[in-house]
Amino acid sequence: MKLQLNYNQVNSLIRSNFFKFINKNQISILVITLLMTVLSLFIAASIGSFNISIFDYVLSTSTSLENKVLEQIRMPRVLLAGLVGASLGISGASLQGLFRNPLADPGLIGVSAGAALGAAIVIVLGSSFIPDYIFGPFILPLSAIMGAALVIYLLYLFTKGFGYQGVTYMLLVGIAVNALASVGIGILTFISTDSELRGLTFWTMGSFGAANWTLVFPAIIIVIATISLLIPFSRQLDLLQLGEPEAYRLGVDVKALKFRVIISSAIIVGISVSLSGMIGFVGLVVPHLMRLLGGVNHNYLLPASAFFGASIMIIADLLSRILIQPAELPVGLLTSAIGAPFFLWLIFRIRKT
Amino acid sequence: MTIKLQNISYSVNNHKILENVSLNVRKGEVLSLIGPNGSGKSTLLNVATGDIKPSSGSVSYDNNAIEDLNIVERSFYRGVMSQSQQIVFDFSVQEIIEMGWIERGLPNYSNHFDKAVKEISSLCDLENLLDRKFNKLSGGEQRRVHFARTLLQLWRPSNSNEPLFMLLDEPTANLDLYYEIKMMEIIKLKASEGIGIFLILHDLNLAAKYSDRIAIISQGALIKIDEPKKALDPVLLKKIYNLDMVIDQQTMKVSYF
Repeated sequence: MKLQLNYNQVNSLIRSNFFKFINKNQISILVITLLMTVLSLFIAASIGSFNISIFDYVLSTSTSLENKVLEQIRMPRVLLAGLVGASLGISGASLQGLFRNPLADPGLIGVSAGAALGAAIVIVLGSSFIPDYIFGPFILPLSAIMGAALVIYLLYLFTKGFGYQGVTYMLLVGIAVNALASVGIGILTFISTDSELRGLTFWTMGSFGAANWTLVFPAIIIVIATISLLIPFSRQLDLLQLGEPEAYRLGVDVKALKFRVIISSAIIVGISVSLSGMIGFVGLVVPHLMRLLGGVNHNYLLPASAFFGASIMIIADLLSRILIQPAELPVGLLTSAIGAPFFLWLIFRIRKT
Repeated sequence: MTIKLQNISYSVNNHKILENVSLNVRKGEVLSLIGPNGSGKSTLLNVATGDIKPSSGSVSYDNNAIEDLNIVERSFYRGVMSQSQQIVFDFSVQEIIEMGWIERGLPNYSNHFDKAVKEISSLCDLENLLDRKFNKLSGGEQRRVHFARTLLQLWRPSNSNEPLFMLLDEPTANLDLYYEIKMMEIIKLKASEGIGIFLILHDLNLAAKYSDRIAIISQGALIKIDEPKKALDPVLLKKIYNLDMVIDQQTMKVSYF
């Protein structure tokens, strides 16, 4: 008697039981973080170097200048901040699950460094080699995504297709790739002119200042599509916590899962880093906070980290705009300044328990 | 309704680990695998689970070659419990047990979920631990939780007649005496419900008391497979374990010191 199910049918069964493994408390946290995201979107869009009431805009009682600021500058910027926060949060959560290591984040497997190298190449060498009219505003993000993709390809090559050798090996390869990318960035820093150096430095501190619809709109579509491909596999990430052999015995195709999580993270992180620069600690700290609040199962953790990551990033960007007006603080500086002490507290807490 | 291992040989770098082993795990029996350290017990078990592809020979579940079953179908047939790895994140005991639940696309099957979890945690005496953090438990308690997870994986409504197997690598390791006996009783109970059980044991007394058949393996070769009274032969065991043994034929108690 052979069970009459093909592989895809069975696979969809594993993905389908989303609500079975999530509790009421977790659902309310998800609702609250979602509301927080929406609320922070509205607040951040209204406040800035001059304040615009969203209600005026909705009721069409705002001036045309106000409309223009809101539509062309503030909205893409706030949406980009949310998008980047969600990307970093969810990729941190899923990579920590995949590597079964609470200290993993997108930076660790070298994806961020690869994207940074790609961006640095454009900032330092771009104008002298590639004329502006070929790729226009897409040249920096494209190059960053290619950098991230190259790192993933190297990882894939060195681990024989994210093979069945365990993730420690992959982490070590990631560290080596990271070091290589830093060498590249170092060389570029060394040969850059003063103004290029300034551009490079500010880029590594992160900012949403350059946001515009041409870049943000395609990014939103790609990131949301990728995230919605990732979330259905959260149950498999749970099973993976039992160890790779155990997960395999429970019907998880471990190799395919690794492939899916790593490629998805590379896409969303590559896009985020390319549009905003290096923003530290969000990918690391947000999933931890969500685990402390609601639990460790990935059905809950992945969407919660996306929502919460989005809302705190929007608020961090708002603070970076208004704290030292009329100047602007690099937002990566702000997240690291808050994230690093929190991280220390976290390490302390882990040691105590 | 059997797991069939036929002429299994397995070697790594020309080092022979298993040589021409054939055995069947039948429906409703407890088959214990005994043998000294390094004799190939775990490897043989892992060949039976489908984790290790043998160098030669074939494995079939219920007359389906294992290569023809995808990994999810295999998980419908058999639950496996082996030496477990550390779990990093703070899952609750209940969450770990529930990881054994696999959706199977059968009508109404999902509705049994809560009932099945309750039934199995009470069978394994884990009701009071369900809300505890798994990582805070002792080694023996963690083992019992993994055992419960394996049982949940094989939970079926009482009218089900599916072929099911349990493959256990030293399930009683770390358990205190009470739960050692309790776990063996549960294993016996599950066998009486029709599950075929293949397990590695080190304790010859447990093997003698609870097995329907015992397979003895030494240096990668199957030496003997038979019911306990016939398999546990003091002369043979002395050769394999290099220890003098006395076996009381009435009580089947094995003494070796």
